[in-house]
Amino acid sequence: MWRDASTWAAEAVAVFAKEWRGEFRTRYALNTLGLFAFTTLVVVSVSLGPIGVSLAQGTAVLPVLLWIILLFSAAAGLPRAFVHEEETQTATALRLAATPSALFCGKLLYGLTLTLALEALVTPVYVAMTSLTVRSPGLLAGVLAAGGFGLAAGSTLVAAIIAQARAKGTLFSVLAFPVLLPLLLIAVELTRAAVAGDPADVALLQLLLYDATVTVAGFMLFPVVWNP
Amino acid sequence: MRKLLAWLLWLWLSAVIVGAFLYAPLAKGFIGQSSRILFFHVPMAWVSFVAFIAAGVWSLLFLWRRDPKHDRAAAVAVELGLLFGVLATVTGALWARVMWGAYWNWDPRQTSIVVALLFYGAYLALRSSLEDRDQRARLAAAYAVLGLVVAPFLFFIMPRIMFSLHPQSVINAQGKVEVESRMVQVLLAGSAGCTALFFWIHNLRCRVQALAERKSALYE
Amino acid sequence: MLTTTTALRFENVRRRFGRLSVLQGVSGAVGPGGMLLVTGPNGSGKSTLLRCLAGLLAPDGGMIEYTEGGESLDAAGRRRRAGVVSPDLAFYGELTVGENLEFFSRLRRTPPDRGLAALDRLGLPLDRMASALSSGMRQRLRWGWALLHQPRLLLLDEPFQNFDAPGERIARELLAEHLAAGGAAVVANPSTLDFGDVAGRLDLGR
Repeated sequence: MWRDASTWAAEAVAVFAKEWRGEFRTRYALNTLGLFAFTTLVVVSVSLGPIGVSLAQGTAVLPVLLWIILLFSAAAGLPRAFVHEEETQTATALRLAATPSALFCGKLLYGLTLTLALEALVTPVYVAMTSLTVRSPGLLAGVLAAGGFGLAAGSTLVAAIIAQARAKGTLFSVLAFPVLLPLLLIAVELTRAAVAGDPADVALLQLLLYDATVTVAGFMLFPVVWNP
Repeated sequence: MRKLLAWLLWLWLSAVIVGAFLYAPLAKGFIGQSSRILFFHVPMAWVSFVAFIAAGVWSLLFLWRRDPKHDRAAAVAVELGLLFGVLATVTGALWARVMWGAYWNWDPRQTSIVVALLFYGAYLALRSSLEDRDQRARLAAAYAVLGLVVAPFLFFIMPRIMFSLHPQSVINAQGKVEVESRMVQVLLAGSAGCTALFFWIHNLRCRVQALAERKSALYE
Repeated sequence: MLTTTTALRFENVRRRFGRLSVLQGVSGAVGPGGMLLVTGPNGSGKSTLLRCLAGLLAPDGGMIEYTEGGESLDAAGRRRRAGVVSPDLAFYGELTVGENLEFFSRLRRTPPDRGLAALDRLGLPLDRMASALSSGMRQRLRWGWALLHQPRLLLLDEPFQNFDAPGERIARELLAEHLAAGGAAVVANPSTLDFGDVAGRLDLGR
């Protein structure tokens, strides 16, 4: 049954709006993500900052740590999008009322905005606290955007998968890590290139390809995951 | 008929093992007899790859037809893929120790096999955490398809980005071979034999599981 | 509002959970204006059957056929069109009652002013946080939610649970009006409700 495109979009927007409205009232994800990100940030910059990192070391190590912080913050905050629905039993009402693809889109957009907000807060602070000089800030912004997108897309789908299982906390990391690893490795490589000022068009395209692949897979697999 | 096929497979694999030590020459540039491990490592890595694809394909079939036998086939493929993958990783690590002095180098091929193992482990962990048969089959199949879709990035794109210590592909994309034809023969024979072995064990295990399920359905 | 033909028929529905066979070949049917009453002790599979009918659970075997307005609908269609009241239905505690209903009517793509009449009669406090509702009020919210999109089929699992006398009276009226308008209903309850003229009965007790 074909459903009108504009109202499909309205459904997705309604889900997105509901997520953020709930988030502003409970501030759960922002607190969790924020606290986690800043704790790890402090640890990293305290152990590396005052000692003074040489340019070579900085180029090698700091990009990795940034993405580790982002990955684990995402793992702390993003699964809640679906786990919370199952735990509070609102998932039943959602299954009956929502169109799966619109629901996935809304949740994905929520995860994406959350991730981008996290990156926007963490990255400048990280760069400042570790005295990292970034030669291509434009590339860095691009990597963060594309990498963040992939992180959100992969995490949202995996969250939907594990939300119906037991032992959700550990299961999310176990399932998400292999899926997100290619993304992380490409993103770290690109971040290194951004810091060093090297060109990296091919890798960026591959990252975008990854994003597209995981997003399409998400939209196609979500209905199967969500409904019997 | 089955018995005949079993004997044939046994003979074939025995011939491969004998050939690996007596028929094929040593590869150039490898220390001592160490290149013999190639004839075991490569087929097992190949089978691990086949298992990954097979699990993905059976999962897709399940999602399309919702036939429990496809779900069972996918799960068994993952179990066997894990087994062969672990064997491939261990033989690869032993070889790396002899060749480069270190068991582990995180070069792209080693990274790929480890991530494949992580996928297998994650898939099995997911299955064991779901009790309802329908849910377990659906969610596991979805994850397997996700793995299938992400796999090209692991196996093909990553190596190009990362520095590689792994020797040049013995049989590369254009089909050119850099080793002597005898070695190629044994490698191909070994890979074919291991693939047959994989599907043999797979078939047996699926049948055993189907029987176990029927038995538990009777005893309720 | 047109009176559409609504017909639900299910045959030999089976469902197991692991080793436990909860539904072992259950059949029934209900037509326009009719109510099928499903009774049975706890654990006899009433909720499981209702979940299968609602499209929330796939049966292991058997057939479920639902036609609405001459159109045959699959499980996804039943999920979308049926009005479900169930004890495990919960809403978003961090939103108000009104926000919850508005959200779901956006999802169902019904104009928010539809189903308002039922909401009025149920006396739902639209500005109260859903987490602050008493269990009786929560049950009223479930009814309001179920009727939001003016469904032709109602699937009710223990529909009068937690109700006080006025609440139950309103719900019974709403159900009677639904049936009078040509809608169909399947009601599951541990005990036989005092409902007078019931189209069909299905007892899952062993």
